[in-house]
Order: sequence, then structure tokens, then C-alpha cells
Amino acid sequence: MTSLRPILASAWMGIQHDIAWTTPALSVALRVVAPFASAMTVSIIYWFGTTNSSSVAFNPERLAYILIGSTLYAHIASYAWVPTVAIAEGKNLSVFPHIYLTSRSTAFYVAGRVLSSFVISTITSVAALILAYLALGSFLGTQIPATVTLLSAAMVAAALVANIPGALGLGFLLGAYSLYASKFEWSLPGYVAGLLMVFSGALFPTSILPWPISVVAQYLPFTQFIAAAREALLPGSSGDYVTSMGLCLLGGVAILVVSLLVYFASERKARKDGVIDRRLA
Amino acid sequence: MSFSPWVRTMKARALVRLWSIFGEPLWIVVSMGFPVLSSLALSLLYYSIGATSYVGFAVLGGVMVSFWGNVLWSMASQFYWDKQEGLFEIYLTSPAPISAILIGMSVGGIIGTVPSALIVTGIGWVLFHPAVNAAWGGVILTFGLTLASLYAMGMTLSSLYLAYGREAESLNEVLQEPVSMLSGLYFPSIGSRSPFPLAIQAAASLIPLTIGMDALRKTLFYGNDIGQVWPDLAILAVMAVVLLFLSTYTLKYLENVGRRDGTIAVRIR
Repeated sequence: MTSLRPILASAWMGIQHDIAWTTPALSVALRVVAPFASAMTVSIIYWFGTTNSSSVAFNPERLAYILIGSTLYAHIASYAWVPTVAIAEGKNLSVFPHIYLTSRSTAFYVAGRVLSSFVISTITSVAALILAYLALGSFLGTQIPATVTLLSAAMVAAALVANIPGALGLGFLLGAYSLYASKFEWSLPGYVAGLLMVFSGALFPTSILPWPISVVAQYLPFTQFIAAAREALLPGSSGDYVTSMGLCLLGGVAILVVSLLVYFASERKARKDGVIDRRLA
Repeated sequence: MSFSPWVRTMKARALVRLWSIFGEPLWIVVSMGFPVLSSLALSLLYYSIGATSYVGFAVLGGVMVSFWGNVLWSMASQFYWDKQEGLFEIYLTSPAPISAILIGMSVGGIIGTVPSALIVTGIGWVLFHPAVNAAWGGVILTFGLTLASLYAMGMTLSSLYLAYGREAESLNEVLQEPVSMLSGLYFPSIGSRSPFPLAIQAAASLIPLTIGMDALRKTLFYGNDIGQVWPDLAILAVMAVVLLFLSTYTLKYLENVGRRDGTIAVRIR
């Protein structure tokens, strides 16, 4: 219980930070814009590529595959890098020194910020997915297949939760870097989003990547999370939901354990080296 | 040889930006992350669906997204950050012409983004060998005019961003992806092959990048020469001039508002 309090306090602070800079409804609406536009871009690329090539045919199921993948990779990217910004911005605005002076590890603060961002990102990603689904259906004049039932929604919700350890782990790894960095950490979101685009099977099957990258990409928890969500939402999906969920959880927990060890070690060293409260390290 | 204060100011501001980039080569690695990886991902998307003849569109999009990112994060938001650091009030109280500072920022930004754009091109070329049928005269002129109008838009945005406080970063995040989509960085967003209704195409055409991308694709991949894309070039030139004047006007206006309200030196609000 005593561990839960700092996490919840940080999560509440994260919600205030992320959506209270303007009216909450407007803030959430603005946060839907980027994932919506991103999902539209990749879906239109698929539509454009297939309708303007004589050798390939447009397949609405593949469009649904890309639409779901693109929304979910944006979801992971948007909350996995929160530790980076929480630490970097915290140092810059002198918030972080107050956190590190407390008796707890800063990991509690970081975890709370990630959880709040997860909640916001889940809402905005689902809204972006629905909006893109409707907009694409209207612009492209096609019916995009999707199974939307109470069961499939519950399965997607379970997949979103199962992905938390992996994304939190990625966040802690980036956060460990941010404890030391003071210049380049702002570029990390671009790298995270870009890497997820290429290696998480969000837009295309990982099997098209060269070996052994394809094997590593296939077993990333993020790849398995997106696969599980597709298996829940796409009718006639060939994958196995339970296996994807199992691999997602297993890989996620492994990444989280390793990343926590790295973060604690980095935090200890940063305190020792005296860089933890420096704006320019 | 002595230059006018305008030229010296422009050169000084450009040099600051160039030093900040080339003085720390890691910046080049840092700034190329998203353009390289997104271009790679979208090239692989075209490749995976069998539309290999359009892979070049994704590579070109990756090149131009480098410049668009630079306009958004290093032009539009720059005065807001300068204000936070206390630099903006020094600009205003010095005799340095503000237009020279804006142009200097643009010149430095363009030169500083070239390495990232070249790396995206190189990786795309090596991995995918995109089919190119270029009219190089048209490509170079279109590229130059696209950058001129795009950075002029950045100057206008930098003036407008002075009116905002911490909202500036959120505005950037809101603008980045929709503009990338509407301007057709990776697929044609205007014309007969666009998926968008006419009203959206008309709105998208107000963004210089939209006209520039359309003309770049025509000259780089379809061999259209200057004579065939002159309407696009004329629009880009007009946009560049109009946006340049608009940026000077809005900056002066907001400076006066800031002086009157006493907010010009307020760093964080």
C-alpha cells in the first residue's frame, strides 16, 4: 500500500500535466489528432499503392490490419517515452530534484507518470481508431472488416493491459539514459516511434525483414501485443490470441525486470556522480 | 569588405545554428532518427504490398519530413524558446533587423538539415533502388522554391507562436502529423489520385509543402520539366513572398501587443 501511494500521486500529477494545460476535453481532443493522422497516412499509402499498381489488388482485410497496427504502435510510442520527458522536463523545470530528495526511488514517480499516460493514450488511441475507421470508409468508399463485440473489446482491453510491463520496461530503459543526458533526450520519441514502426509488425509482417532481425522482431512483446489485438478485432484472423498474449506478457515482464535493474543502477550512479539534479549533465 | 547590418545579422544567426549542429556531430545522428526510420518503415510498407514502383515516394517523403520537422521544431517554436531563455528581448532591444534573424535561422536550418536529408536519400537508394525519371532542372528549382515557401511559413508560425506560452509544444504536436498527411509527404494528396474530397484538397493546397511535394514527384519520378510544372512553381514563389511579408507584419504586431501588455519579457506563462 505504501508503494501504491507515490505511484498514484505521480499518476494524478501526470494527468494534470498532460491534460490540464487547457480544458481537459480540448486537450484530449487535440491528443487524438496525431494518432488519427498517422493511421490515416499509412492506410492511405496502402490504398494508393494497391489501387495504382496493376500487379496487386486492394484487400480491405489488409487495410484493417494496417489500420489497427498503426494506431497501436502510436499508442505504445506515446506512453513508452513518458519517463524520458518526465525526467528531462523535471530537471529543466527543477521538479525532478524535489522528487529525488524524497526517501523513495524515482522509479515510483516514473511508473506513475507512465500509468497516467497509458490511461490517456488508451482513450485517445481508441478514439483515433474509430475516427480513422469511419473516415477511411467514407473517403475510400470501402467497408473495413472488424469484429466489434463485448468479447472482442474485452480481449483488446486485456491486450492493452498485458502490454504495460513491456512498455514500462522500455520507458525505464529510456529513463535511465535521461538521468544522464541533457541534450539529446528530446529526440528519443522519434526513435521509439520509428523503431516500433519498423520492428513491431505494425504496418507489415515482420517476416519481410531480413533474418535474424525478423526472428527478434517477431518475439518482441510489442509485436505480440499488436498481433493479439488484431486476433481480437479481425474476423478470420489466423493467429492464436492466447499464445500472443502469453508471449507479450512473458517478454514484457522480462524487459521490465532487466530495465528496472538498469534504472536502479543508473539512479545510484547518477546520485553518486551528482548529475541527477543538473539541468546540463 | 563590410556588409550591411542586415547581412551581418543574418550571417551571425545562421552561424549560431550551424555551430550548434556541426559543432556537435551527434546532433546529426539525433535529428535523422525519425526521418530515416519512418521513411524506412513506409518504404517497406510499399514494398510489402507489392507497390515497389512507389517506394521512391516514401524515400522522398523521408527527405522532406526532415525539413518539415526542422521548420516546426526549430523555426516555429524558436522564438518561444528564445523568449524562455531571455534572448528574445535582446533581439528586440538591439538594432538587428528581426527579418534578418528569421532568414538567418532559416538558412542555418536548411544547411543543418541537409546531412539528415542526404542520409535518408542514401539509405533509401541503397536498400530499395527507387525508380527515378528526373528532369533535374525542374527538381532543383522545385526543391529550392518548396524550401523557400516552407521556411517562410515557419517564419510566420514563429511570429504567431509568440502569442502562446507553454501551448506552443502541444500545438507543434498537433500540427506535425496532420500536415504530413494533408501535404502528401508519402502519397499524392491533391489531384486525380488523391483520396480526399475536393474541399480537403483545396484546404491542403494552402500548405506550401502540398504544392511542393506534388511538383517534386512530377519532376523527380515522371520527368516533368519546368515548362510542365510552372503553375506549381509560380504558386510556390507567390506563397514564399506572401508568407515572408506576413511573418514580418505579424511579428511587428505581436511585438507591439507584447510591449503594450508587458508580456514581452515574461518567460514562462
